[in-house]
Amino acid sequence: MSDGARTSDPETILRDAAQRVSVQVRVRRSEYYALRALTWGVSLAVLPLLLKGLLGARAPSLAIAVIGLALLGGLLYSLSRSVPAGDALRLADRAAALHDRLSTALECVERRDDSPLARALIADAVERAPRVQWSRMVPRRWPREARLLPVSAIALLALLFLPPIPIPRGGLPAWERSTPEAPEEPKQTGPATALDRPLEQKRRTPERVDRQPQELPRRPTRPETARGDLAAIFKDTTISQKRPDFSSFLKQGDERLRVLERVENLPDLKSDFTQSPQKMMFRKMQQLLAGLRPDQLSPERLRQLLDEMDRLGRKGDGSDGDLREGEEALNEGQLSRALSAMERALNRMRAQEERERAKKGLSGGRDKGREPGDPGKDGEGDDLGEGEGSLPGKGHSADVRGSPTRRLPGEKLDMALSGEQRQGRREAYDTNLRGRGAQNPSRLPFATVFSQYRKLMEEALAKEPIPFEYRTQIRDYFQSLEER
Amino acid sequence: MVEEARVERFVRAFQALRREIQKVIVGHEEVIDQVLACLFSGGHVLLEGAPGLGKTLLVKTLAECLDLTFSRIQFTPDLMPADIVGTNIIMLDQAERRYFQFQHGPIFAHIILADEVNRATPKTQSALLEGMQERGVTVAGTLHPLPSPFLVLATQNPIEMEGTYPLPEAQLDRFLFKLHIRYPVLAELNEIIDRTTRPHEPGVQQVLNATEAESLKELVREVPIATHVRELASLIILATHPQWEHAPEVTRKYVRYGSSPRGAQALVLGGKVRALVSGRFNVSTEDIKAMVLPALRHRVIFNFEGEAEGINVDYLLQEVVTAAEEAIRHGKEVFLR
Repeated sequence: MSDGARTSDPETILRDAAQRVSVQVRVRRSEYYALRALTWGVSLAVLPLLLKGLLGARAPSLAIAVIGLALLGGLLYSLSRSVPAGDALRLADRAAALHDRLSTALECVERRDDSPLARALIADAVERAPRVQWSRMVPRRWPREARLLPVSAIALLALLFLPPIPIPRGGLPAWERSTPEAPEEPKQTGPATALDRPLEQKRRTPERVDRQPQELPRRPTRPETARGDLAAIFKDTTISQKRPDFSSFLKQGDERLRVLERVENLPDLKSDFTQSPQKMMFRKMQQLLAGLRPDQLSPERLRQLLDEMDRLGRKGDGSDGDLREGEEALNEGQLSRALSAMERALNRMRAQEERERAKKGLSGGRDKGREPGDPGKDGEGDDLGEGEGSLPGKGHSADVRGSPTRRLPGEKLDMALSGEQRQGRREAYDTNLRGRGAQNPSRLPFATVFSQYRKLMEEALAKEPIPFEYRTQIRDYFQSLEER
Repeated sequence: MVEEARVERFVRAFQALRREIQKVIVGHEEVIDQVLACLFSGGHVLLEGAPGLGKTLLVKTLAECLDLTFSRIQFTPDLMPADIVGTNIIMLDQAERRYFQFQHGPIFAHIILADEVNRATPKTQSALLEGMQERGVTVAGTLHPLPSPFLVLATQNPIEMEGTYPLPEAQLDRFLFKLHIRYPVLAELNEIIDRTTRPHEPGVQQVLNATEAESLKELVREVPIATHVRELASLIILATHPQWEHAPEVTRKYVRYGSSPRGAQALVLGGKVRALVSGRFNVSTEDIKAMVLPALRHRVIFNFEGEAEGINVDYLLQEVVTAAEEAIRHGKEVFLR
């Protein structure tokens, strides 16, 4: 086929036209997706610059790389999309107001439509195609995200020239290091107590304790003792009236601190939390184990716990054997065995306390607060103890529902009176029941129900937008019911 | 080129008819174009408008412009089917023997004016509507074909509904277009007064005969249509159905039944006529959209809410077109929409 014949071929002419539009579509599409990608790239590039303090001199180059990659991705995506010839010619038809001439003609050519009008259409389209202004056929479109580009760019430039943002370093204090700095830790929740410290540490650092006597007040456990300090504990003792002697304090330490170390000699304060060694151990364990899993426990920490238990345990509770076993397990490096021994010892201490309490006829502090008629003393504010855990829905009680509510006094069954049907027009009708239910015919007050429904109907007709034909129909229906 | 000459002849005939009708009818250019579109696409027209707006005059004028037979049937409640289709009457031959002879009714004409079609009983209406669909009537077991072209122009008055028998939806569906005759504006009213109160009323000339009309009807059906244009017509029909997934909210809320496939046929045939009148050899999307109102306004059936709230069917159809175009664009890349 000669070149002239090929160029006059209608299909070639139409495909050339489609190709011209396709090129424009690709250019506009590349601009569009590149701008979108640039917007997102600039937004992402802010991140390395924010971390300039960590990344150092690599941050600007990393940001530029992110922008470049995003731009490249956008361009590649736009170039990978195809432009069908039919769609391209539809765009041309629309832009040049050709009323779908080109796209229909291309279809006729493709399906070899040889009808007279199809031939005329193709000839018409081929004649019009060269006269079309192909430039600016596809309008430029701005992506919605492009509005964010100036903001992102300004932020990027600002971060590029500003000094690095200081990044806070460090984290939570390590477990091992927290022990000597213990006085600082509980300052946020309340003053630390001397009992919270491991005994060995206190023995090793008496001077430190002497130098910081203000850090030693007791940790409050209840609202009434939150303000309490050493005076609250010692008010009933002989040394409570004793004025601090500064010279003896310097020489041998405060006697009160020494008394605190001998828990078994503390005064019997009935409302004081420290009266129960087992509760003290709980608190101690909570503090020592706070935030730690069993696998994070160190042997030193376990040894301190066992020492505490050995010191606080009472004679005759049978926990000595378990504690010894725990010591041995620790010496042999068997942490799990030591933990189980410690748990057994704690259970024995609890059982011993329960026995003593039962002997005295005393119940738990929570039980006293839950007496009928005294709902206010329910022990709110306490954070441990078997009294709370044994209540329904709290702690480890299996009885989550609690005891049933007492029934209100009243009749057990609804009462009804039987009567006879009167003479005259019936205002009720029997529902059409069959089978076993037919022996118990229910009676509905027809007149009452019907009048209610008719009233509702009248209201609806007055208020609702119901077509005229339906209104008559509805009224006729109700009229027929009334006559029945 | 021969085809271009045929199209040119079509345009000339169409414009001549329009010009002759406009000698009598003032305004209503769009209605005249759509009535002529029905003529050339082989459909029937239902004209709806208040009394005195020129419905009957429009049809009479069209019949005068065409060299075709014309019948006018005034529908009344006591009109019988035999009054429309005709009946067998007993005749005597030369030997004094009796035989049945079919007496043709007024339906055997090229152009039928069924005036106030909703005043006759459904049985009588169905006699006309059977002929509209089948292009023939059956009397006493004998099929009598109707002449071609066969165009029924029925009129009805939407105001006086007392004592009428509104056409059921199945029969409405047989009309290609339903056209609303609006009230004339001031200038048109003045022109009507001038034309009709003079001693000599304007006359019209015959510009088309049956053979030419049939030839032009064939030309209409040859007009090619692109796939995307045909798809638009189909999507418009689907968008009138509340069950369709892309149907607009107004359709879901107020429509009980959407258009039948006859609606799509009406869109495409009307679009082809419009394309030829514009001198084009192909149907465009604009042609389809221009035919939506006359072709579909009588094919959409409202539900109770739609009837109660008095939803305008033309407004609903505009929403339908928007939804169909959205459905075409759905999933297409932004530069190809």
